[in-house]
Amino acid sequence: MSKDFEQQLRDALQPVDPEEGFDQRVMARIAQERSRSRTKITRWASVALAASVLFVAVLGAHQWQLRREQEGLEARKQLIEALRLTGEKLDVAYQAVNRESSLPADDGSGA
Amino acid sequence: MIMRALFKHTILALCGVLSLCANASAADGQLKIPEFAGLADKAAESVIITLDPSLLRLAARFLDPADPQDAAAREAIAGIKGIYVRSYKFDADFAYPKADVDLVRKQLGAPGWQRLVEVRSRKEQQNVDIYLLVEQEKANGLAIIASQPREFTIVNIVGSIDMRKLHELEGQFGIPKLEIEEKK
Repeated sequence: MSKDFEQQLRDALQPVDPEEGFDQRVMARIAQERSRSRTKITRWASVALAASVLFVAVLGAHQWQLRREQEGLEARKQLIEALRLTGEKLDVAYQAVNRESSLPADDGSGA
Repeated sequence: MIMRALFKHTILALCGVLSLCANASAADGQLKIPEFAGLADKAAESVIITLDPSLLRLAARFLDPADPQDAAAREAIAGIKGIYVRSYKFDADFAYPKADVDLVRKQLGAPGWQRLVEVRSRKEQQNVDIYLLVEQEKANGLAIIASQPREFTIVNIVGSIDMRKLHELEGQFGIPKLEIEEKK
């Protein structure tokens, strides 16, 4: 009984030669799998690269905006200061002209 | 010989071009303000303002129209191409190079510049000169040179200056009401 079974098993598991072209098919499949995984990696890398570029662009734009805003506020401050100084000097001239026109005789200042 | 003549002509042509450039600069109302190198270190207080057209435009964008001072400033700078200010205050008398200030004053002798006000106060040792660059009955530049023993200020405003708008700045930046008659 057990001998019969053993024989049956041996018959069933006896080495069989693969079909013709089996190795080529296996190699082609391996190559296909490799290429598929490479495509996947490339796709992910592209997505990651695009995301990084977008992030850098957004960050750059934000930084540029911040810098521009700082420059704008500084320019505004300078403009106000320039107008204030201009006004101050015009005021000096105005006061002198006014003083001069209100005095009948020369008091040592002239305009 | 030919090379020397060619060199001479090239130099002369270059001088001509440079002179034309210098005239163009004088014509647009921008003065050549000296660098005043190292003066900021010596000064107790210094104000150096250089607002070229692009910076002026940028500054204008940051002026709040709801703020009366900002609104007045916006009105005042319409038509103005540049504002250049150099102002220094010192702890000692005449610590600044008077020659450099005179150099600026000399430029105002160029055609077109007209002295509007000249103040010489012996008592306060204060000199203030206000010049306008008048072209075709329009003020295209303003220069103020104010000097005292311990301070001097040079203001150069380039561009079309509307004296009426400057007039409207009264009360905004301490600018008084100027009795300026407009030419018609």
